[in-house]
Amino acid sequence: MPTLDLSGRNYRDVPYEQKERLFEEVKADMRFDDYLHGCYDCGICVAACPSARFYDFSPRKIAQTVSREDVDLFYLFLNDSVWDCSQCFSCDVCPRKNSPGGLITLMREVAVKNGLASAQEALEGYGRVVYKIMATGTQVSPDMLQDNAFPDWGPHVKDISKNLETWRRALPPETLHTTETSWQVDDKTITELYLIWHMTGVMDMIKEVDEGLFMILQDVMEERLEEAGYDDISFD
Amino acid sequence: MPEAVNPERNPENPILIIGGGPAGLEAAKGIAELGYKAVIVEKANVLGGTPILSSYAALTPDFRSAEDAMGEMIAAVQRPEVDIHLGSQVTAVSGQAGAFDLTVTSAVDGPTQVQAGAAIIATGFQHFDPGRETQQYGYYEHDDVITLVDLERMLKAEQVVRPSNGEPPKRLCFIQCVGSRDRQIGNEYCSKVCCGVAAKESIEVRKLLPDCKVFIFYIDMRMYGYWENEIYWPSQEKYKVNYVKGIATEIVKKGDHLIVRGEDTTMGRPMEVPMDIVVLSVGMEPSEGTKQMAAMFGAEVNKYKFIETVGGALNTVQTSVEGVLACGAATGPADIEDSISSASAAAMKAIAVVRKTAMGVS
Repeated sequence: MPTLDLSGRNYRDVPYEQKERLFEEVKADMRFDDYLHGCYDCGICVAACPSARFYDFSPRKIAQTVSREDVDLFYLFLNDSVWDCSQCFSCDVCPRKNSPGGLITLMREVAVKNGLASAQEALEGYGRVVYKIMATGTQVSPDMLQDNAFPDWGPHVKDISKNLETWRRALPPETLHTTETSWQVDDKTITELYLIWHMTGVMDMIKEVDEGLFMILQDVMEERLEEAGYDDISFD
Repeated sequence: MPEAVNPERNPENPILIIGGGPAGLEAAKGIAELGYKAVIVEKANVLGGTPILSSYAALTPDFRSAEDAMGEMIAAVQRPEVDIHLGSQVTAVSGQAGAFDLTVTSAVDGPTQVQAGAAIIATGFQHFDPGRETQQYGYYEHDDVITLVDLERMLKAEQVVRPSNGEPPKRLCFIQCVGSRDRQIGNEYCSKVCCGVAAKESIEVRKLLPDCKVFIFYIDMRMYGYWENEIYWPSQEKYKVNYVKGIATEIVKKGDHLIVRGEDTTMGRPMEVPMDIVVLSVGMEPSEGTKQMAAMFGAEVNKYKFIETVGGALNTVQTSVEGVLACGAATGPADIEDSISSASAAAMKAIAVVRKTAMGVS
């Protein structure tokens, strides 16, 4: 069946059975029943959604599609719309207590775990961010504000990154006059974070979408874990 | 100081109830329980009204067996205060509030004279006939296009199959508001119950045929009060019935299937979906009995021929004729709960008429 590509992005169509398998994988998640009850098609989630103001994106359509078990449309959104969500959960205002944002979390996880090309493409620009958070445990540092890292943030990112030092110093609190770090994370916390990434399958997901990033993280993490006495941990 | 009882008046005059459905039965029961006499005149040869005559399976919203519920109501009027005329119609009326003279004609035994102090018209509704005004949905053309009432009969028999080939359907849909909310047809009102009935039937179909996909095409779902969480939400959340906002424009036959054409409005796209059975959610119209009794008693009707009540929101049962009350779906679309409530109100006001007459007060 030919699918409708609303975004201009291209992705591979697959047999219906494969779409159904991905759909069932989303439904099998233990969080699913808390995230979706039934949909009124009322649009309150869209009205509350910041992304919907900028993109052709509708959390309602996602909730509705999954609720109706429309497997073809689900696959379309799985490859496209789910990446337009900023995961702010403003959509949790739902009168039926649905969480379209939560549903999108599940869909993204399934897209990543299954190594969908669209997921790889959507996450392409975020390698440095993921590296930073996973390896150092700190948030995005100002020096990462470069246009190639955030292609969807618009052309002004380029201007800001050019004179970053000056921009940062213009901010009133002295604590923000930094460009490289956000805060120091202690060794014990870092070790625990690595163990969490390992045990919850986050590293497996990274491996599916970005093999190169996975290998870099693997080196960093295995080494530190070994130093901390966890020499039996392997990310392979 | 109340006036003395006027001995000229007969305090024993019973209250006439026309119609032996839920409303009529409830009115008779209430009157009898308060120690007054009631006469039920029912055109059919059985009591129970439309739930029985149209073979309803389970009632909305509690899924209680219609036969069981009506059986309980029928048993409650089997008492000396209630005189029941089956297979009979009121064929002539004279007199006024306090002393109506009526001719009740039995198809078998001929006419009888009955005196009544007040009258309650509980003659109900009839289901909209989807082939009467328009052939838009091909009710008389396609075997697999049926109504809520036809499906109810199938559910009662616990056998939901395609009339065309006797096989269980794999895809079944409801189309809401057929014969209601439609200026083209002239029925501008909402029939109130069809949303709930469709949701109830959708659950029953899914229970009976778990492999059958069920869709409901609607304009608005009107699930007031507890119907929301008792039938609407479970049908969608537990039984996975698909609610699609958009009304079909036509049904065409293609090979072995029916194709429903319409718009999936919230998704913003046209749709053409194959179905094995299409159920038309037909609404309510005044029954022949309602129209006849309104004319016979000279009670005003509204533009849709339902009996007009004249008290607005504060009196839902008073007709334009003194001593004549109306209840249930004779005054407009009503579910059983509405009918039972208005029947009690009518019984109380009818008793007031009889008592006032007997006491000679106005």
